[in-house]
Amino acid sequence: MVLAVGSGSDRLAIVCDAQYRVPVLNEEALATHRQELRRGTIVLACLLLLSRPNYGYALLDALEKSGFEVDANTLYPLLRRLEKQGLLTSEWNTDDSRPRKFYATSKEGAALADTLKRDWHDLDTALLSLKDDS
Amino acid sequence: MTATSSPTDRYVAATLRSLPERQRQDIEAELRALIADAIDDRREAGVDADSAERQVLTELGAPARLAASYSDRSLHLIGPEFYLDYVRILKLLLSTLVPLWFVIFALVTFADGSPADVAFGGALYSALETAMSIAFFTTLVFAIIERVSAVRTKRTATWDPSSLPEVRDRRDRFSALIGGVIFLAVIVISLVLIQTVGAVEGPDGARVGPVDSGLWESGVFYIALLIAIASIPFHLLAYYTGWSTLNAIANTVFVALLAVPAVWLAASGRLLSDDYFRAVGWPEGADVIAVVVIVFVLLITASDAIGGWVRASKKRRTR
Repeated sequence: MVLAVGSGSDRLAIVCDAQYRVPVLNEEALATHRQELRRGTIVLACLLLLSRPNYGYALLDALEKSGFEVDANTLYPLLRRLEKQGLLTSEWNTDDSRPRKFYATSKEGAALADTLKRDWHDLDTALLSLKDDS
Repeated sequence: MTATSSPTDRYVAATLRSLPERQRQDIEAELRALIADAIDDRREAGVDADSAERQVLTELGAPARLAASYSDRSLHLIGPEFYLDYVRILKLLLSTLVPLWFVIFALVTFADGSPADVAFGGALYSALETAMSIAFFTTLVFAIIERVSAVRTKRTATWDPSSLPEVRDRRDRFSALIGGVIFLAVIVISLVLIQTVGAVEGPDGARVGPVDSGLWESGVFYIALLIAIASIPFHLLAYYTGWSTLNAIANTVFVALLAVPAVWLAASGRLLSDDYFRAVGWPEGADVIAVVVIVFVLLITASDAIGGWVRASKKRRTR
């Protein structure tokens, strides 16, 4: 079953309650748990999306459209950190009227994305097997 | 600030202010483009210019927070990595230095000619000041360590189970501590009773107690009592933080402050009143009791001082 499709936290809480008859978590605790689970996926999503060079605001938009909720003030510093680590490369694009800094996944970044993707699949498999056992 | 600077200008300036010089130009250019893109997007959706700018900046959040995120700066004074060490060292310093300072200050002011109550009050105030200075500088040092990454990475000390304190040992020491307080109270009360109620008529008609009257009135006993009372919170704190070498040293100084003057007074015949013992018909009593006092004081204080060192070394060994 899919629980986390871009829905608001309220809807998820109601789904939990109806399906498993557990007490509804308060909104704050629920948001924290979901945030914890999603935290690491933003890096992977960026590395995958930036296989085609893009600039900060457009990337934010693309992430949101793909269902990755991330704040602008988290994403922009994150891009610079990844660049500093050599996972992204950057270039100023002055073709448009407004110069923009374009980021692209480097070779190291692509390698990391492969590793993370494998880990994600492993986790998914592990979680599915847990569900089968119960 | 001029009236023409836009909210974006002010936002960017506030963000860049705390960033390293070499990053500023690049971040400024990027940040301005990002803000402009976001504003354009909202205006296309029909939001007016001012509201769009306001919304975008609100979403970006406090400039200081954004700047900290750009420069990987921590937004806490002392982080979880050092917090436990910070608390441990703060407790250790407060539990050893403050009571010691209190006693030394009281003694020095008293020896300088101040009355006992003035010395006590001054020492109390000074001890509070010392406690605040210790807390401040310990915090400052840890806040600096937190921010110097070279120190942070060098740290190798890890917790291991052998550093756990002995449970039984602590309980025993707590009962010993309570026993010590009761013992102190009994000594003080009996001393006062013997000196006042137990006083007899001396050769010149005045009532004399067993303790030399000049010494009794000098207030020296207040100071002794002060030291003994100050040692109670000291022991209590040491009990909670665990004994260290520093605790043992402080304890030894405490004990010496009581024992050395007491033994010196008794040995030089200044502690007891010869008149009292002559009046009760036991002229050599002053010498006998003086020896008893010396032996008693030496035994009690030595066992206390040695006990502190034993506890400290026990703790070291188990580490």
